[in-house]
Amino acid sequence: MRDDLILQVKDLSVNFYTNQRCNMALRGVSFDLRKGRTLCIVGESGCGKSVTANAIMQLLPDLSRIESGNITFKGQDGDIQIEKLPKNGKQMRKLRGEVMAMIFQDPMTALNPVFTVGFQMNEMIQAHTDLRKKAATEKSIGLLTDMGVPLPEQRVHEYPHQFSGGMRQRAMIAMAMACAPEILIADEPTTALDVTIQAQIFELMLELKETEHMAILLITHDMGVVAEMADDVAVMYMGNMVESGTVQQILNSPSHPYTIALLQSIPVLGHGKNQNLEPIRGMTPDPYHRPPGCQFAPRCDFATDICASRLPDESVFDTNHMVRCFHYEEIKRNKEIQHGKK
Amino acid sequence: MINFIIRKILALIPMLVVISFLIFLGVELMPGDAVDFMISPEALSTVSPAELEALRDELGLNDPFIVRYFIWLANILRGDFGYSLQSGVPVSQLMANTLPATLELTVAALLISTLLGSLLGVVSALRKGSIADNVLTVAGMIGVAIPQFLFGLVMIVVFVFNLEWLPVGGRMTPGRELFFQRLEYLVLPAVVLGLALTAGVMRYSRASMLDSLNKDYIKTARSKGLKEWRINLIHGLRVAMTPVAVLIGFRLPMLIGGAVVIEQVFQWQGVGQLFVMAVRSQNTPIIMMIAFFSVLMVLVSSILVDIVTAILDPRVKLS
Ligand SMILES: Nc1ncnc2c1ncn2[C@@H]1O[C@H](COP(=O)(O)OP(=O)(O)OP(=O)(O)O)[C@@H](O)[C@H]1O
Ligand SMILES: [Mg+2]
Repeated sequence: MRDDLILQVKDLSVNFYTNQRCNMALRGVSFDLRKGRTLCIVGESGCGKSVTANAIMQLLPDLSRIESGNITFKGQDGDIQIEKLPKNGKQMRKLRGEVMAMIFQDPMTALNPVFTVGFQMNEMIQAHTDLRKKAATEKSIGLLTDMGVPLPEQRVHEYPHQFSGGMRQRAMIAMAMACAPEILIADEPTTALDVTIQAQIFELMLELKETEHMAILLITHDMGVVAEMADDVAVMYMGNMVESGTVQQILNSPSHPYTIALLQSIPVLGHGKNQNLEPIRGMTPDPYHRPPGCQFAPRCDFATDICASRLPDESVFDTNHMVRCFHYEEIKRNKEIQHGKK
Repeated sequence: MINFIIRKILALIPMLVVISFLIFLGVELMPGDAVDFMISPEALSTVSPAELEALRDELGLNDPFIVRYFIWLANILRGDFGYSLQSGVPVSQLMANTLPATLELTVAALLISTLLGSLLGVVSALRKGSIADNVLTVAGMIGVAIPQFLFGLVMIVVFVFNLEWLPVGGRMTPGRELFFQRLEYLVLPAVVLGLALTAGVMRYSRASMLDSLNKDYIKTARSKGLKEWRINLIHGLRVAMTPVAVLIGFRLPMLIGGAVVIEQVFQWQGVGQLFVMAVRSQNTPIIMMIAFFSVLMVLVSSILVDIVTAILDPRVKLS
């Protein structure tokens, strides 16, 4: 399993500098991406999911900076430290598209409205290969066919606004797959789409993961998507991974109070309407005035003095189930007792 | 596309008829009439009212308004734009003598402001916050605010009297009429005429470019591993162009109006000078012709805007 490691993020910290204030958007994020597996990053709005994805692609805006940490691509020709590469230099450009590709939340705005879909796909292909325009167009048509876009010969010459939302996202995926990347980063790829289309897009991604043996980083705030898509899950809160592990570990034995609260706050399909849904109490703190210590402490039922004093370290149990909480053992014990009573 | 253009041009016709009527009405409402200006005040005392009436009759000034309008319209359709009330020269010939000069001036000003304005705007946007950007921003504000005749006079003082690089005015030296020999006459008036538009285009293309560079498709383009110049100049600029083209189209009439002033300042023998002369002597056939022509230019430029927008933006429906 170790060999499958393709991307390793270690202790990544990213700050935003706006109006002379500093927003520590990421404060030590670590995770691994493996070939043929999907890692889902979940968390509420503003917790830093997109910043994480953009940091990997070096697409962060100018007012932000990677403060510390490593993003290591484990390529066949050795490791590449992504965070050390010049942002728009030759090496980084080669990685983007060839090694890792990204699809975005809103396929309408992510495609340039004044160029045909074919033009935008060809551009990607021609940036990374020696193909001429004609050959590139043929390849684009092939990719569109593979991604289930009907009438690809015609579609390739059409503009994004002539595509439906779902077709646009398929075109985006086709473009992302153009150079057979090893990593696909999808930042809430279906938020702008309706539920049936969402299911189709996920189907397509699952298929690609199997056939291309790709590593997928899927960002979402939907636990339902996690249950359906994820092999591994990382739960983020206010710039930290608070818990991570396999999908079974996280969904069946959540150990961080935030994960537990998150799971209790969403309805589960098939449990009827008498579910005990509990919204997480309190508010997400202002990112510019972060609480000292554990970020979740002000909203946590288990918080004690130590939680407010410093950030808990990552503790690992059950081989790779990580949790960042001072009280996780106690919480686990409580839960076992509760289960026992039932 | 051809259909689209033809439809636009056909839609012009009713508009032109309405406008011709309004122009005719406007001239009608001006105080006095042509006869008052044809005869000098000294001569007026020696002419009897009966003779004046006869002259009015002869010029057709006593017919009912509507009748005169339709006679005028019919003449125009036959290509007869009337005669100058002073010299008797056909108006069409006067226009033919002056129009090329004005077109030369406005086209040059348009080229300068489009090319220079968008170039500076794009550079400004790509170097946002740099010294160059700040200097250009201030220069742009001055360029929009400064009156044209003042800028024209300053330029004349600097380039003609102090540096002695360029001729003070006029359009060409007789005998030296090659393109490049004429250019030195054209430069100053064209730059001065184009200044306000250049500044406007610069400010607008900077804003439009910055807007475009902030869009999601730029991030997509970058995530594909494209080169920076390609991201900026193909993806960024291409989208930023449409609003700038629209702005230029809508500001075209400003150039036509500005030409009246600039032609005076630089002694440029164009339609603007003809117009000023005609207004002073209430030479109605000329005034009407020029007014009509200016309106036509405005309408044509709005059609051009539509066509250019349709070419630049595939989302614009041609129907
Ligand atoms: N361009 C930016 N300028 C300033 N701050 C930013 C910018 N992008 C992100 N941030 C800050 O970084 C933090 C994390 O934002 P991020 O976009 O990663 O959230 P997210 O988890 O993707 O949320 P969402 O689910 O809404 O997409 C937030 O506090 C946000 O304010
Ligand atoms: Mg996001």
